[in-house]
Amino acid sequence: MNRSCTMEKLLYVNLSKKQVTEITINHRLEEEFVGGKGFGAKILYDLLPPGCDPLSPQNVLMFMTGPLTGTLAPAMRGCVVTKSPLTGTFADSYFGGHFAQEIRYCGFDGIIITGKAAESSYLWISDGTASIHPAQEIWGLDTFAAVEKIRELVGDQSVKTACIGPAGENMVSHALINCEYNRHAGRGGTGAVMGAKNLKAIALRGTKTLAPADQNGFMTIVDQAYKELAESEEVQSFNSDGTAGSIDFANLEQLLPTYNYYDGTYNEATRLNGEAQRRTFWLRNTACAACPIACGKVGSIRRGRHKGLISDVVEYETAAMLGSNLGISDIREVAYLVKKCDALGLDGMSAGGVAGFAIEAFQKGLLNSGDTEGHPLEFGNVSAVDYLLEKIAFRSGIGNLLAKGVKEAAKELNRGAEDFAVHVKGLESPAWGPRSVPGMGLALATADRGGCHQRALPVLYEIGGEWKGEMVERHGLKYKGEIVVHQQNYLAALDTLVKCDFGQYGIKAETYCHLMETALGRPWDVEKLMKLGDKIWNQIRLFNLREGFSREDDTLPKRFTEEPLPEGPYQGELITKTNLDQMLDDYYAVRGWDDFGKPTEDKLKELGLEAMPTLVQIPTGNQ
Amino acid sequence: MSVNYLRSQFDLCSGCESCLLVCSSRAAGGYNPRLARMKVLKEKENLLSRPQVCTQCENPFCMHACPVTAISKEENSGVVLIDKEKCTGCGSCIESCPDKMIQFDQEGKADKCDLCGGRPLCVQYCVPGALKLVEKQEVSANE
Repeated sequence: MNRSCTMEKLLYVNLSKKQVTEITINHRLEEEFVGGKGFGAKILYDLLPPGCDPLSPQNVLMFMTGPLTGTLAPAMRGCVVTKSPLTGTFADSYFGGHFAQEIRYCGFDGIIITGKAAESSYLWISDGTASIHPAQEIWGLDTFAAVEKIRELVGDQSVKTACIGPAGENMVSHALINCEYNRHAGRGGTGAVMGAKNLKAIALRGTKTLAPADQNGFMTIVDQAYKELAESEEVQSFNSDGTAGSIDFANLEQLLPTYNYYDGTYNEATRLNGEAQRRTFWLRNTACAACPIACGKVGSIRRGRHKGLISDVVEYETAAMLGSNLGISDIREVAYLVKKCDALGLDGMSAGGVAGFAIEAFQKGLLNSGDTEGHPLEFGNVSAVDYLLEKIAFRSGIGNLLAKGVKEAAKELNRGAEDFAVHVKGLESPAWGPRSVPGMGLALATADRGGCHQRALPVLYEIGGEWKGEMVERHGLKYKGEIVVHQQNYLAALDTLVKCDFGQYGIKAETYCHLMETALGRPWDVEKLMKLGDKIWNQIRLFNLREGFSREDDTLPKRFTEEPLPEGPYQGELITKTNLDQMLDDYYAVRGWDDFGKPTEDKLKELGLEAMPTLVQIPTGNQ
Repeated sequence: MSVNYLRSQFDLCSGCESCLLVCSSRAAGGYNPRLARMKVLKEKENLLSRPQVCTQCENPFCMHACPVTAISKEENSGVVLIDKEKCTGCGSCIESCPDKMIQFDQEGKADKCDLCGGRPLCVQYCVPGALKLVEKQEVSANE
């Protein structure tokens, strides 16, 4: 046992050569990039040839943990990092559950997978021993059946698994990786990368232990973190209603996407909210490993055609994207569609965005019933969405077009389809319509992996928060650049741990630092944390620039820049191109980037990135 | 001293396994839920999590099965304890426990829940309150 909460090793798997090798973690990588997102950012930059096809054997698929993952530190997770087939950018997608913890108990801080297996395969890691096995018996199964089958194959019900469904196998650009059961690396098409590698699943069983450098000190800080979580109003809300609690809030603030983002208010929102879900199916709270928040609400649908269907909370994003955004208000039907996405291995958020796009295309006559085998695509029609999900996962008929995501689908459809394709850099936008909150628009436009609300959520500042002792103006542009940069840096730093988004509402920055200090046995402070986040953000920018992204890509869909909110309290609001440009100028200036969004030499020098050597190399004999 | 035992409730358990982590840290010197002296069984796509704990049996099968009388039931507290000096690591107790609440420690000796000497860590860190230390009360049938 190593008393500093690190396993000091990464597992390197070359599926083409059927080789597994251990990489000793370079001390500098650990010091400068810590783990999780940090490791992913640096390693992706080091290992990937520029312009690499995301679905080629050269792409790497990484499962990374943080130095606190697997300990008692509350609410720590893991992430998948790869080059996204949906966006072509760096992609990091986070998952809860117990899979990341088990990577550590197997003796590794992360897994790097490259190459492509000659036949469908699964990776089995039992403690420090990894082996690659044929997966004919699992290939083709949905994610729920796959988990059962893997457990049977390795003869252990307690193994932790990650797997893809048919969508991943068929390389749908927005396929996810399931981390058992209702936890997923959902965004950016990580499942397609896994499918392209012919890798159906990973099963883990580990008996190694993790011990903090200062056990007593660590426990004192864990107790402090528990206290901070218990005292936080936001955390209490996650505990009582999960993220479903955001539905009423977003609806009131006109941020809830409805009818492919036509509006921000849904007149049937109360049929999707926490109360509706509790009445319909919730039974108890569920939590990821070592998490006292327990935002999960699992239950079984009590009445109707889906009676008996087991579902976790229909969390805010999918309740919005597969509910209000599609005009579907029966929470049981939305739960069914979410579960269908999970089983097929589709990202429910992107799937909702894609379905909304397809319905609007149908309404506008760009698609017709000949394209949909007679199925009329219309808002509020569950069976139409059901049909689309099936088609997308198997890439058949119209599904082959929609499997590429809204950006590519709009390009192929042409004839004005791009006007209502709601995405940023190819990632279908999350359920935070930004027209009345320009800072949120900037956050979406500048997020490293494309349209994402998890890199910064300035909404909370814009609806009545303060910045530098001043009330932030909702519609104004002042401070928006600063706020977004601050949040991006802070959250990127915490994503090295790998924190849960909800834990950070309660746990204070100093407490995270103390957790790191006592676990790792080396000093940490908030200033160092913020610098770490800045460095990682710039490291990822260097990757995206190398892939050809530029200022033009830091933009918003036309729906947000040209079509004002049609009614309601924020009627007429939109983010004009001019305003977006001004915010981008501010944002770049705060970042220390030039007008084209490129980090200046001074900035890179300040962060130590200017002459940063390669820190992870492909093990000898594995090239 | 009163006789206490652990009560576990599936209806409150969130499956976070913090109990297993604190337990493993005490039992094995490091965090790993597999090395805890209790289990959390998951069923039906995680619809259910059932914490399974040593109930400090009144008629401990493990105690009867031990060939070297290394297992005893403490008279005052009712806790079933293993004398590691006497234990030969034969595994008879492990086989005898239907709930699989005994395992080998890193030295190859039988190891089980000792209620942390009276203040169980698992209870302290169970935020949802699914684990409780409950005082045993005898109610006679003819009262």
